[in-house]
Amino acid sequence: MFNRLLIANRGEVAVRVARAAREIGIAPYGVVSSADADASWLSALDGHVCIGGSAPKESYLRADAVVQAARQTGCAAVHPGWGFLAENPRFAALCEQHGLTFIGPRPGVMERMGRKWPAKVAMRAAGLAPIPGSEGLLDDVEAALAAAEDVGYPIILKADAGGGGRGMRMCTDARELREAFGAARAESLAAFGSGALYLERYLEGGRHIEVQILADAFGAAVHLGERDCSVQRNHQKLIEESPSPALDADERAALGELAASAAVQVGYAGAGTIEFLRDDTSGTLYFMEMNTRLQVEHPVSEAVTGIDIVLAQLRSAANQALGLTQDDVAVRGHAIECRINAEDPAQGFRPTPGRLATFEFAADVDPGAVRIDTHLQAGDEVSPYYDSLLAKVIAWGETREAAIATMRGALAASRVEGVATTLPLHLAVLDSPEFKSGEYDTRSIPGWPT
Amino acid sequence: MRETIELLVQNEGDRVLLLAPDAGLFTRALGPGSALAAGQSAGTLLRLARASELVVPHGVHGVVVSERPDLVRAPVGHGDVLYELAPFDTAGEHMGTDAAQDDPRAGLHVAAPQTGRFYLRPAPDAEPFIAEGTILEDGAPIGLIEVMKTFTRIPYRAVRGLPARARVVRVLAGDGEDVKEGAPLVEIEAS
Repeated sequence: MFNRLLIANRGEVAVRVARAAREIGIAPYGVVSSADADASWLSALDGHVCIGGSAPKESYLRADAVVQAARQTGCAAVHPGWGFLAENPRFAALCEQHGLTFIGPRPGVMERMGRKWPAKVAMRAAGLAPIPGSEGLLDDVEAALAAAEDVGYPIILKADAGGGGRGMRMCTDARELREAFGAARAESLAAFGSGALYLERYLEGGRHIEVQILADAFGAAVHLGERDCSVQRNHQKLIEESPSPALDADERAALGELAASAAVQVGYAGAGTIEFLRDDTSGTLYFMEMNTRLQVEHPVSEAVTGIDIVLAQLRSAANQALGLTQDDVAVRGHAIECRINAEDPAQGFRPTPGRLATFEFAADVDPGAVRIDTHLQAGDEVSPYYDSLLAKVIAWGETREAAIATMRGALAASRVEGVATTLPLHLAVLDSPEFKSGEYDTRSIPGWPT
Repeated sequence: MRETIELLVQNEGDRVLLLAPDAGLFTRALGPGSALAAGQSAGTLLRLARASELVVPHGVHGVVVSERPDLVRAPVGHGDVLYELAPFDTAGEHMGTDAAQDDPRAGLHVAAPQTGRFYLRPAPDAEPFIAEGTILEDGAPIGLIEVMKTFTRIPYRAVRGLPARARVVRVLAGDGEDVKEGAPLVEIEAS
């Protein structure tokens, strides 16, 4: 195992990875931008190096500066977290070149899976059914218009290097596509350093269901069940739960097995997530994409399986065998995660950077059943330069009803003042009949009129 | 020719601080008493396989009063202080960086609605929304502001003493510049 680990990320994920590293005696180090140089979450690290200015492309997206920081702090491995460089195969290759272990799959697999188009080709060969879409990347708006004609409107533009909804645009006709193309490309370029786009047929509604995979470098793989991430706004996940209320036991086992075997067939090692869109009318599960990294919502899978996914990542990267078979993985009870963002749901989800006057989350409502993942505390400044995630609240229960009740209690006992947050939205969703019955889809937020 | 990179500058009273422009190993540092002027080399920054000459930027000069780092190859981060300069002992000489010429807040201006990153163009390869001489009427787009990765158009609004019809005199904020809420983005005049 490594003595020192460099976390090439910021905020909540940096704190989460640092916690796992410490658990097995690895000293966590970090990189920061000048905007984060005085952040309180840096106390989770043993040391850090400032690598540039506030904009991600001046700091957190600079592969060479991160590698330099790892070298000058004596780190032997790099954990990319999520976002920023997490799915950049050139970064993974640069780490390898400089003798650093990259916590993630090998650059070649990442190149194919992390880039959405080659992933579709590989996963089709591995037995999954992709959503019909453009055959390859779109060079310009004219190519997009031609592809959209073939696929049929409505379509959705997606960032080839993307994730988290950045660079995505739904278009119902050629005029909308013409207008959306430039902005989607700019957004993708700003968020991921690549402006490459592709498009797919937009499936109205449906559910976003994803399978968590763990694989080792020796061809063994298991799945940790699925997460349902259908409570979304603008393709941004708000609430995730596991298991999905939409699948029965047979569908669940079949989907998990298919996903784990696909991961092995593409030569995947480490933690990864295969995302599906379930068409509600036909029940078909379409392959959307594979995320070759840790996901924001990984705690819900940890809560129902008792497996620490970040520890599994570190062990896999150190070439240890998985040491698990599918029979060792038991999904027990139900878990829900609510993302508390600095956005005002009453004002069209306007971002609300500012100073946190009060920041209290009630983890002791039901000891052992509630987990709070955050990097913030009262008095901290929420920066305008990065995403708006303030905290994740994860609740577990023997049944879905119990998990909802525990979550409700935890959120009702939490207080954030100084910036508007999505807390009231989450309470409304939890109380809505659609969410309680489990009958909701990606189209609208249950219990929240838009 | 060797690659060069400019040191960053921060003024602290009559002292000038020269800061590391990037993370790396700082070597060939100059000791106290060395005189530095614009364009001069002030050590080397090693980054991966690259060695870059650290250059004193335009308008800066003085005498090094700080000690050399303890290590021959000292690990530094972006913004770390590498040198502290005191003014040369010549009366009347202008020290530090050249001050900004005029105050843009003097005339009419459009202010940033939020703290974030300002963009002049709808897309990186597109034409800017405005330039010197552009006529602005209510609702005309001025630029984009990026807050938490969300891009929002900034429309011209004839409020707070701004005219219904205005002409752009000068664009004050750069494309991609970080701006604070209320910072002047564009200087205008009634048209």
